[in-house]
Amino acid sequence: MKTIVRTAVAALVLTGAFASTQISSATTSSKVAVARNSAMPVPMCAPDDPNACGIAR
Amino acid sequence: MTQDTLVSTLSYLEPILCGMVLTLVLRSKEAKRYRYLVALLGVKVLSSATCLGILYSAASWRHVLEPHIAYHIYFYVYWISYALEALLSLLVIYSIFKLAMAPLKGLQTLGILVFRWVAVISIAVAMGVAFSPHLNGIKFVVAMITQLQQTSSILTLCLLLFVCFAIRPMGLSHRSRIFGISFGLGLLAVTNLVQSAWLSHGSDMKATFSIVNGIAVCLTLFVWSAYFAFPEPKRRLIVLPTTSPFLRWNQISMALGDEPGYVAVGGIPPELFAPAELEVMRRASSKMAPPEAINERQSSLSAGSSAIIHSIPA
Repeated sequence: MKTIVRTAVAALVLTGAFASTQISSATTSSKVAVARNSAMPVPMCAPDDPNACGIAR
Repeated sequence: MTQDTLVSTLSYLEPILCGMVLTLVLRSKEAKRYRYLVALLGVKVLSSATCLGILYSAASWRHVLEPHIAYHIYFYVYWISYALEALLSLLVIYSIFKLAMAPLKGLQTLGILVFRWVAVISIAVAMGVAFSPHLNGIKFVVAMITQLQQTSSILTLCLLLFVCFAIRPMGLSHRSRIFGISFGLGLLAVTNLVQSAWLSHGSDMKATFSIVNGIAVCLTLFVWSAYFAFPEPKRRLIVLPTTSPFLRWNQISMALGDEPGYVAVGGIPPELFAPAELEVMRRASSKMAPPEAINERQSSLSAGSSAIIHSIPA
């Protein structure tokens, strides 16, 4: 049990470490990779967007 | 089941599960101990409920809530709650670290000091990285919050690694709530980092990742519910070998914060001493001196010391 838990944690940490190396930072890209722990749609348009960012669809 | 239906189901499931975990935390009477987790869940419930309400109203009741106003409200609710969640995540990690290290006070103090510095530097770096010529206004704020969330995720993974591998010297087990919360936070952190990496390579997979994200959030909330639904095993008695590095570092860290002692080396007025103290010193010095010197000193002291003693108030 202890080994399974430790392996799972090590796998999580390694995945996170690898993923963090793949994120292009804001200084090199004009596109912001927004990732929030939620299934809600991310509002990426400006607040005064003429199409209301398609919220009514 | 279509992709949209699955995303909607997960979106509705999230606040319900958050509410369930909150209820279980309150029922277990551990709300004070895990107050930052309660605050984080509270923010999640409120923001999810508000955002879902706005989305539903904008799509179904256009005559009640005009889409432009709806988007305006949605935008600010989303980003404010996102920023709050990023800050609360840092505080949750901080409180979990404090709780985990509670038996080793010296290491706890040292760890907290290091953690505070790391947190301050992380916030400064998040702000610094967001400063970019092509990011301004709202985009700058969004980039800064995102960067802060990523930093918080990396810190969470460090905490999880520490809690997992140093669980025995801290008297914890894998059934402890401290481990359960750390594991859930770690799961969220990995999802967050993978999502960021995924999105920075191609944004056409947003819907697919919404499903993965929703599943990860629901899984985490299930893990937390299980940990708070069942009673927590008591912390074991910590028995460390005398050669244990944990014990040594704890002793060193405890000594690090001690107030030093002070020694008076000169310029001491006789008023500071009580007459009894002066008498003790006089007798001690007379015993230490050779007999010839005593006779000389006694003749000089008979006049001098009586003057000092008389000058001290009784």
